[in-house]
Amino acid sequence: MRKGLFYGLLFTSPAILGFVLFTLGPMVASLALSLTDYNVFKEQTSFVGLTNYAKLFSGEDELFYQSLGVTFYFVALRVPAVIVISFVVALLLNMNVKGRAFFRTIIYLPSIVPAVASAMIWMWLLNPDLGLINSALRWLHLPTSNWLYSEGSVIPSVVLTTLWGIGGTVIIFLAGLSGIPKPYYEAIEVDGGGWYSKLRHITIPMVTPTIFFNTVMAIIGSFQVFNEAYILTQGGPNNRSLFYVFYLWRTAFRDTEMGYASALAWVLFVIILFFTYIVFRTSKSWVYYEGGERA
Amino acid sequence: MRPSKLALTAGYTALILISALFVIPFVWLLRSSLMDLSQIFTMPPEWIPKPFHWDNFRRALTTLPFGTFFTNTFVIVIGVLVGTVATSSIAAFGFARIPWRGREAVFAVLMSGMMLPAAVTMIPSFLGWKALGFYDTYYPLIVPAYFGGGIFNIFLLRQFYLTIPRDFDEAAFVDGATYFQIYARIILPLSRSVLIVVALFSFLGTWNDFMGPLIYLKSDRLFTLALGLQMFQGTYSAQWDLLMAASAAVVLPCVVVFLIGQRYFLEGITLTGLKG
Amino acid sequence: MSRRRKSLSVLLALVMMLAAVLSACTKSDSGQGGGNSAPPADSAGSESAGGDKPGEPITLRMTVWGAPEEVAAYKTAIAKFENKYPNIKVNLQHIPTDYDTKLTTMVAGNDEPDVAQMESASIAYPLAEQGKFYNLQDFLSSDPEIKQDDLVPNITYWLEPGNIIGLGPGPETFVLYYNEDIFKDAGLTPPPAKASEAWTWDQFVEVAKKLTIDSKGRSAADPGFDPKNIKQYGVSIGTWWGNYSNFIYSNGGDFVSADGKKFALNEPAAVEALQKMADLINVHHVAPSPVQAKNIPATNIALQTKKVAMAIDGQWATAGLAQSKVHFNVGVLPVIKEPTTTVVSGMFSIFKSTKHPKEAWELMKALLDPDAAIDLITAGTWMPAYRSWYTDPDLLAKWTENLDSRPSNYKDAVVDVLLNHSRQTPTGYVKNFNKIMDIVNPALDKVWLGQQTAQEALDSVAAKAQAQVQGRRDVEG
Repeated sequence: MRKGLFYGLLFTSPAILGFVLFTLGPMVASLALSLTDYNVFKEQTSFVGLTNYAKLFSGEDELFYQSLGVTFYFVALRVPAVIVISFVVALLLNMNVKGRAFFRTIIYLPSIVPAVASAMIWMWLLNPDLGLINSALRWLHLPTSNWLYSEGSVIPSVVLTTLWGIGGTVIIFLAGLSGIPKPYYEAIEVDGGGWYSKLRHITIPMVTPTIFFNTVMAIIGSFQVFNEAYILTQGGPNNRSLFYVFYLWRTAFRDTEMGYASALAWVLFVIILFFTYIVFRTSKSWVYYEGGERA
Repeated sequence: MRPSKLALTAGYTALILISALFVIPFVWLLRSSLMDLSQIFTMPPEWIPKPFHWDNFRRALTTLPFGTFFTNTFVIVIGVLVGTVATSSIAAFGFARIPWRGREAVFAVLMSGMMLPAAVTMIPSFLGWKALGFYDTYYPLIVPAYFGGGIFNIFLLRQFYLTIPRDFDEAAFVDGATYFQIYARIILPLSRSVLIVVALFSFLGTWNDFMGPLIYLKSDRLFTLALGLQMFQGTYSAQWDLLMAASAAVVLPCVVVFLIGQRYFLEGITLTGLKG
Repeated sequence: MSRRRKSLSVLLALVMMLAAVLSACTKSDSGQGGGNSAPPADSAGSESAGGDKPGEPITLRMTVWGAPEEVAAYKTAIAKFENKYPNIKVNLQHIPTDYDTKLTTMVAGNDEPDVAQMESASIAYPLAEQGKFYNLQDFLSSDPEIKQDDLVPNITYWLEPGNIIGLGPGPETFVLYYNEDIFKDAGLTPPPAKASEAWTWDQFVEVAKKLTIDSKGRSAADPGFDPKNIKQYGVSIGTWWGNYSNFIYSNGGDFVSADGKKFALNEPAAVEALQKMADLINVHHVAPSPVQAKNIPATNIALQTKKVAMAIDGQWATAGLAQSKVHFNVGVLPVIKEPTTTVVSGMFSIFKSTKHPKEAWELMKALLDPDAAIDLITAGTWMPAYRSWYTDPDLLAKWTENLDSRPSNYKDAVVDVLLNHSRQTPTGYVKNFNKIMDIVNPALDKVWLGQQTAQEALDSVAAKAQAQVQGRRDVEG
């Protein structure tokens, strides 16, 4: 075991060192700043203890609870949507069809197209009058929506726009799927099982480590959604898309209240940590590692 | 796996529909890059430029020193790629394959780095690098890659390493192998597909990253492609035709890299004859 | 081996952490000035700090944002400046995006430029309030070459009376654009160009109704008009403060009271203006709602494709219109009570941390010179900063005659209004503007969408908005 400790640390030392050097310092600094009234432009900064946090939780800052609610709603919608849809798309892309490489590239493309271009396109697609989506819905005699411009529909619409960027998640699922040994599938076929059996008894269990990874990353990422508010909605209408990190950024860089923003950041940190912890804890019961490990 | 004809057709149709949807932004980008400014925003949109403005590309790429931007970006990306693949895989090995006390706790602490919004660590980070004298250099952008290359990649690789059966390791131990040998001879080859994924993400992420270069660089001659793209935005409006042309030019290498890479990591390595 | 590596790494870690935290602390220590750079020069430092000898090589740093053609204009100004002062070199730093974030980071790191482009709606005032800028009043008073009156009104930004923190390189006013072909085809008289002949609001609405056509060709004035299927709108109005401020002022209203102590958007004058605008959307159906307005990305395209017959927008749109080859012209804005236009513009400021305030001031003057930006001005994007360019016929001709961007009515519609009927942007004189608008904007969202009347919406947020009111910059106290 001593040998394990030695080698363990040896292999992970660059990473640990990197964390300490490049991440821990700034993190500690921001925690310290959250206990001050640091405003970047002011000459004087004083220690204020937990005042920032008190202000947040007391309800004095309405936008705090508003942005938390908005963000939670977003996460609750987005994480399942991304995982399920990416997985299905990955299954499709894993089929042995002609032009597979071409399809895979297309699915991945939107995530590398510059955000500016994507934003333009979504504004057109989701336009209530002339947008493609509403036009198609009208043609099918289905009800239309105001998408980004209506309080009730803005968050689902934003979730929709992020679904374009699932390319990365799909790729990771694909990599996971590619590691499933063919003999397992052959064994099921021999037993007379069809695609459903294969999916349920081989594919999904074997791919749980990937599902786990993608879920954790989706949670961490979704809580920190920013670009869509910044580019598409500016937090509206009526603050219904005032995502937490957008609100935080505005506090930090428009209002230059960096101390207060740091407090906001650390509250989010605790929240994300909590949810990630839950996923990790429950993973022991549903994630299967061929290597025999527990998460 | 040989699916039935029906499943195949259904799947194929689904793929085509989804691809059609996913390809829209790219097509929009391409067609806008070849259009005159007045045509880009017409409603309903026109999909074929009339006429084709090939000179948009020439103009976009010469108005700003894109040649320099390209070289700079390339330098940074290669630097990051090498560091990331190397150090993230050793670290992941340490977290997945070697049993040691405190391993999970340390991993958790490293993971936590992703949970604090960058907006509030931006200034302390910047101040730190500046204090070391590395403002307006590439060090802040490249050096961290050699120290683990980001916990995202380590986490990803860890997950994959955990799925590799231990039988190999155990056999190797019996033969007196060291951890290094297990890493190099067993794990590394088996995880080729995932390593290529890491390399790919690393390439693409760095290629398009503008926040890092924005904060840490100050001289034009050091700027990257991602920053160059932003330069087309003016105070009151943007030069969309040039912006789209430049964006298309910047995205193209990524598409090529992806096309090449996806072949390698997705043709999968099957673990043959393991169980029993 | 690993143990030594470990202690080394711990040491390195401590150093790094220390460096990060120390730098942050030095910046934020009470009472201390800017850490590493030279001690802040005194205000009113018209004599150069540090007593540079004339002819000594000096480098000035300047930060700007903007598209390539805007940067080109700055470079022209810089070239002329460097010619005049061969010992001074200007290092132009173009910040392509997230200007405020980058500049804030630079200030945090004691890396401020000498001259910086600033925006009154974002971090200009937070910086000014911490005393980071020179008072340009002192330079203006002591400089024989330029006087306050040489500049057009409303491009001067005060922190408080007597303290000028920024000068704009050129004003931007608002006008009523229209598509000449649409008016000709409909047989209607286009909007007037002279302020004295400006349309009343009701006249304006009448014309807009006649020019709003549904898919069956009926206009909004017809009884059978179908507001759900509009092919062409009479007018597009923006719903940001730049646009609606024109009408609030025209009606005698304001954002805060004259003494700066009271929130004024829920007062009758402002409410009436806002309601009239919202009614264009929801009652008369002549303007696209904010929903539909996103359909029309830019004034030039909207007019060119005949999606709208008229558009209320800033002067800068002439650049796009010139390129779009549409027969457009400009008129003065409709008047509720008084003809008015709001003037918006960016500004340049001089950081107090500069070691060469005199030279920085000379650079400022070069940047304000219309000749340097002549390309941008003739393209339509900018307007000149000097009054003489509006009053002297030759200079006026230089930027308004025979240009695609300056149709026949431009002079009348723009010059007189700017010189005699203009108001400063609210971001320039309302303290704490952004926080107030954080509260007002969501309320206005409801008004534009027709869910609430302007009075209801603004009354509901009046108390919270009042809590954010901190006064005005153009009055004492």
